Amino acid sequence: MKTCLLIAILAAAASVAPVRAHHSFAAEYDSKKPVELKGTLIELEWVNPHAWIHMEVTDASGRVAKWDCELGSPNLLMRNGWRRDTLKKGDGIIVSGSQAKDGSNLANAKTVSLADGKRVFNAGSSGDPGTPGAPSN
Amino acid sequence: MKARLTLAGLVIVLAVAPAAAQWFDYPSKGIPRTPDGKADLNAPAPKTPDGKPDLSGICLGDQWSPAGRRPSPPGAGRGEGAPEMLPWAQKVFDERRANSLRDDPEARCMPQGVPKASTLPYPFEIVNAGNKVLILFEMYSLRRQIFTDGRELPKEYAQPSWMGYSVGKWDGDEFVVATAGINDQVWNIDLAGHPHSDALRITERYRRIDFGHMDVQVTIDDPKTYVKPWIMPMRYTLLPDTDLLEFVCEKNIDPQHMLGK
Repeated sequence: MKTCLLIAILAAAASVAPVRAHHSFAAEYDSKKPVELKGTLIELEWVNPHAWIHMEVTDASGRVAKWDCELGSPNLLMRNGWRRDTLKKGDGIIVSGSQAKDGSNLANAKTVSLADGKRVFNAGSSGDPGTPGAPSN
Repeated sequence: MKARLTLAGLVIVLAVAPAAAQWFDYPSKGIPRTPDGKADLNAPAPKTPDGKPDLSGICLGDQWSPAGRRPSPPGAGRGEGAPEMLPWAQKVFDERRANSLRDDPEARCMPQGVPKASTLPYPFEIVNAGNKVLILFEMYSLRRQIFTDGRELPKEYAQPSWMGYSVGKWDGDEFVVATAGINDQVWNIDLAGHPHSDALRITERYRRIDFGHMDVQVTIDDPKTYVKPWIMPMRYTLLPDTDLLEFVCEKNIDPQHMLGK
C-alpha cells in the first residue's frame, strides 16, 4: 500500500518543476537519438551534480549491456518527491531519454518508470523551459 | 490543479513517511499564514527594526518555481531584451551558442559568478547580518557578501573574484547593490552565454513587493563588451517551509562526453 501511495505521489510530482542540468543538454545529448531502456537497476547513485541510474539492459538477442542514465541533482529530485532509496537494486525499470552525442551507453533520462508501466518521475535534467535566454536544447 | 496534486502528494508523503520529513520541508516559524495554514505570500512585506523592508528569506526565480505564480518577465538577453554587443563579444556569443555552451565552466563544477548565480533553478537565501547582507546560494554552496557599512566600491581589485565585491545602500524601499571586481574566469554572466570584461559593473535594485514576492532589476554596464547598459528583469517567489540544502559538486562525469556541436 505504501508503495502504491508513493508511486501516486511521485507521479503527481512529475509534472511540477522543470529540471535543468548544471550543463547544457545539447552539448552532451542528442534529442534526435531517443532511447527507451528496459532493464534492471544496478544502482541509483545519489551524487551531485547529477544522480545516476546504472542499469543492465538486455537486447533482443540476449546480449547484456550496461547503461548510465543521468537524472537531475539529488536536491531537485528530493524536492520533487524522490528519495535516495526510491529505486532499489534489482528493480525492473524503464528509462526514456536521449542518448549521448558520442554514441556511448549514456543517456539523459526524461522519465523513469517501474517495469509494471507506472510512471515514477519526470527525471530529466534536460531542457530549460522558461529560462530567460537559456538554450532550449 | 498541479498545485493541488503537489500539495496532496506532499501531505501523503508526510503521512506515509514521517521519518523522511527533513529540513527541506520543515515549517517556517513566525510567518504570515492564511486561515488554512499555508504561507500567505500576499501578506505585506516584513520590515526590519529600522523600518526598511526585510529582504531576508529563501527564494527561487519564478521561471523555475512551482510556487512562482507570476508571469515571467520579458526574456532577459533575448528578443526585446537582447543587449547590443561589441563585435568581439558578438563573435564570442555566437560561437558559444553554436557550441551549445559546451565550455561553460559550470559544467566542470566551477562557480557561476554574479549575476548568473541568481538565475539558476536552485533557491538562494538572503540573510541580514549586521553591517552586511549575505546571499547564500544552494547551487554549489556559494555566497556573496554585500557590505552595508557605508563603504564605496574599491577603485582597484587586487583579487578579482567569482562573486565580486558588493556594496549596498537603501534608496527608499529599494536595496541598491553595486558590484564589480568579477574575475575573468566567470565565463558567462547569464544562462544565455553573454560574456563580460573587467569593466563589468552590475547594479541590482531589490524590491520586496510583499511577503512572498521580490523583483530585482539587474543592470549590466560593461562598455568594453556592450554598446550600452542593459537590464535583466528578475522575479522571485519566496519558498516557505523549507531550508537550503547542501550542494557540493562532487562527482562529475559529463565533460568527457560533451562534444558541443
